Amino acid sequence: MSDTVTLTIDGKPVTVAKGTNVLEAAKTLGVEISAFCYHPGLPIVAQCRQCLVSIEKNPKLQPSCQQVVADGMVVHTTDPVSTLARKQQLEFTLVNHPIDCPICDKAGECTLQKLYFDHDNADSRVDTPKVHKAKVVDIGPHIVLDQERCILCSRCIRTCDHVSGQHQLEFAHRSDHELLTTAPGEQLDNPYSLNTVDVCPVGALTAKDFRFTMRAWELDATPSICNGCATGCNIEIHHKNERAWRLVPRHNPDVNDYWMCDEGRFTYHDLREHRLAGPTVEGLPASWDRAIASAAKRLGVFLKDPAQVGVVLSATCSNEDNYALARLAKEWKVGLVLVAGKPPVPARADGRLRVADVNPNAAGVKAIAAALGLATTPSFELDRAPPANLRALVVLGDVLPGFDAARLKELEVIAVASHERGVVTGARVALPIAAWAEAAGTVTNAKGRVQRMHAAFAPPGQAIAGWDAIARLGHATGVKLAWSHAREVWKDMVAQVAAWKDVTWAREVRPLALRFAGSRG
Amino acid sequence: MPDTRTLKQLVLGRKDVQDLSDNEQELPPELMTVNMGPSHPAMHGTVRIVLTVDGERVVRGDVQPGYLHRCFEKESEHATYTQVFPYTDRLNYVSPMINNVGWAMVGEKLLGLTGKLPRRTEYIRVIVSEMSRMTDHLTCVGASAMELGAFTPFRYLLKCREWLYELLEKVSGARLTHSYVRIGGVSKDLPSDFHADLTLALDRIEGVLVECEGLLNNNKIFYDRMSGIGVMTREHAIATGCVGPIARACGVDYDVRRDYPYSIYPELEFDVPLGTTGDCLDRYLVRLEEIKQSIRMLRQCLAQIPDGPVMADDHRVALPPKRDTYNTIESMIRHFKHIMDGVRVPPGEAYAFVEGGNGELGFFVVADGTGRPYKAYVRSPSFVHLSTAGDLIRDHLIADVVPIFGMINMIGGECDK
Repeated sequence: MSDTVTLTIDGKPVTVAKGTNVLEAAKTLGVEISAFCYHPGLPIVAQCRQCLVSIEKNPKLQPSCQQVVADGMVVHTTDPVSTLARKQQLEFTLVNHPIDCPICDKAGECTLQKLYFDHDNADSRVDTPKVHKAKVVDIGPHIVLDQERCILCSRCIRTCDHVSGQHQLEFAHRSDHELLTTAPGEQLDNPYSLNTVDVCPVGALTAKDFRFTMRAWELDATPSICNGCATGCNIEIHHKNERAWRLVPRHNPDVNDYWMCDEGRFTYHDLREHRLAGPTVEGLPASWDRAIASAAKRLGVFLKDPAQVGVVLSATCSNEDNYALARLAKEWKVGLVLVAGKPPVPARADGRLRVADVNPNAAGVKAIAAALGLATTPSFELDRAPPANLRALVVLGDVLPGFDAARLKELEVIAVASHERGVVTGARVALPIAAWAEAAGTVTNAKGRVQRMHAAFAPPGQAIAGWDAIARLGHATGVKLAWSHAREVWKDMVAQVAAWKDVTWAREVRPLALRFAGSRG
Repeated sequence: MPDTRTLKQLVLGRKDVQDLSDNEQELPPELMTVNMGPSHPAMHGTVRIVLTVDGERVVRGDVQPGYLHRCFEKESEHATYTQVFPYTDRLNYVSPMINNVGWAMVGEKLLGLTGKLPRRTEYIRVIVSEMSRMTDHLTCVGASAMELGAFTPFRYLLKCREWLYELLEKVSGARLTHSYVRIGGVSKDLPSDFHADLTLALDRIEGVLVECEGLLNNNKIFYDRMSGIGVMTREHAIATGCVGPIARACGVDYDVRRDYPYSIYPELEFDVPLGTTGDCLDRYLVRLEEIKQSIRMLRQCLAQIPDGPVMADDHRVALPPKRDTYNTIESMIRHFKHIMDGVRVPPGEAYAFVEGGNGELGFFVVADGTGRPYKAYVRSPSFVHLSTAGDLIRDHLIADVVPIFGMINMIGGECDK
């Protein structure tokens, strides 16, 4: 028996894998069947009845999301019966829908708006008052529910069940008084709760973090990778006016499917807090030229005996930045190479997307150091055996756990970091670099998957890409690192890291204005 | 040694021609390059002509448009179909209503609405188009006369134009950039007293035209400066793609309103004036006659215009009434989608063209099924006409560049696309 099935949809033959549903089969032909409750990442319930199609030799319309394809099946999506069914279903759905578009956060990316405009576009025939329900229901720490807007598709209920494994939402009452509410004794507080906002086809569930901040059609989207932990969920940065407004998951079946955790979504706030906007020398603002010259002069004294110099690679920074610094460490022949990163949070690990390691790039740093033949020490082991002859330290990133503060004060610390906190505050020279959302680069997740980040907007102030700052520092100390773009750093790097030799540098992606993307639904 | 120079030489510092030696008189003059524009009072709308002159005679004229950086076509790809109307206003900004109508027609062609609009809409469109044609010709004729020294007719004709502008402002809310027409109709109905106002304005304009013709047509200076200047042959006009009053002055019998009729033009009686010699005087006379024909058409329209809606009853193009928008979710969504995503035009390609102030004005659109054009192209008559300017001014005096250029009636906004 063959594994594929051939059927006809709207007169066109299509061959799909066995077990596919009609809706997905139509999608391969470019036929978009309207649906509210169907979501490719969730169990199917055929509840909204929006995707009804007529199938020959079948007396009744069938929900295409639930109908599995069969050989010889003849499906019609544009015949009068199914067209009328779609229109009537939309009319039903809109009967009690509030007139909220101007104040609704979902407007512009609302599936209900899109489907009504595409498939119905008729005038209202209702002359009875709408059924009113609660407008602002605080159902959890991150989410507000508007019960009037809810069209009862149950996507959010299934998202909680399926993604976080916690049944926290439920329907109550019946008929046009049916409403979405929290399950008895529960509130919507699972660590994946904000996925319900993404899947909500209307504006019933809105994120407290995003609501009333920005209209969806004003935003630009740039693909990137979440830097919140070692999973490396694929995301889109939605940004405008040189700042991010929200992070939403991007489909990747190999990493995060359609989902990401709430904690990861909030990491964008950090892009605007405690940023190092310009180079500093001894805590005072300086020009790039002076800061680099000063750093080189301080280092030059100790580089005569490189055992006095230490270099700190960072699991919070990209492969490119780490490779640049690792190259310097190798050329300088430094005595100590540390790897720093945020301390693990074992409570996070849940066997789903969240893992204990909250650094995006620990695997990448390990691979780079190994490829360059550098012996590394995790920084938190230092307080046990700090090398007595250490005089200077070049630190990438702002975290350096396990290092004695008093000991740090005695050292000439050159910090290359995006944020002014932690080790950067006491640094003799601080060089500002772009954070993860502001520069092109790659990170390697816990499974060794190298993933590409794109620059969404410009870094603040005088910050430049990390590898660039490090190359300038190298140049001033007599090490020639000639790169003009992150891609060139990448090329250099993959030539040396055997495991990455087949990975290609993805095409540059320019931000896509969401208003051109139409309704995302 | 006594000073032998004459008093004149001392004062003026140079010799008279008769004082020059034979040798000096016969010296061939050098060709000289002179910039005319881009910021020259007679170079309407910022265009530069690099003249190579032999004394007063133009040997070569290199016409260089492109100072306005309009980007109409590219900008249109980023705007919804409705948002393009303000851009079309700024094409030929002396007759924006005609541009509005042309853009609306290309959308309607793709939507299959051509010929299905309410009758009143079609009448309103023709009325505002013909008013715009009058403002266009009044400006062209008036400005050209003024550049030849006749300031009075300029003031008289611009006075007429102002009456029309005031009326168009009443209709649309804006004196110059109207953005009045919509795909599927017009944005609002005519004001209640429009009928009487326009009748009055037309009567007064007819009177002023008689005055101006008296001042110009038999004026020796004006006649000599225009007659036989910038002659274009019929063949030249066709070969270079000239249309409109310029081509008709050369005897090319082509008018979109008559030959490819649109809207209600087939039901109107009007004549298409033709010239015989193709010089500046003919272009002037053709324009003057077209003003009179427009008046004739406007009077017919005012007599025939029916009552009725001004927007097609089609949910694909018509915004819902405000009352419904605020009170039903269906209309609210449709309103939102129309404004944010634009009128959804089915995929395809279409070219729609109208008789603009300067001739055939065409819009070509490639639609991809979204609310924004995938590609927009404008066939702007001024751009074509300007390409003939270099030929027309050759072998004329520098002073003749002004009437020739004036009668080409280049409009910068339309030329830079």
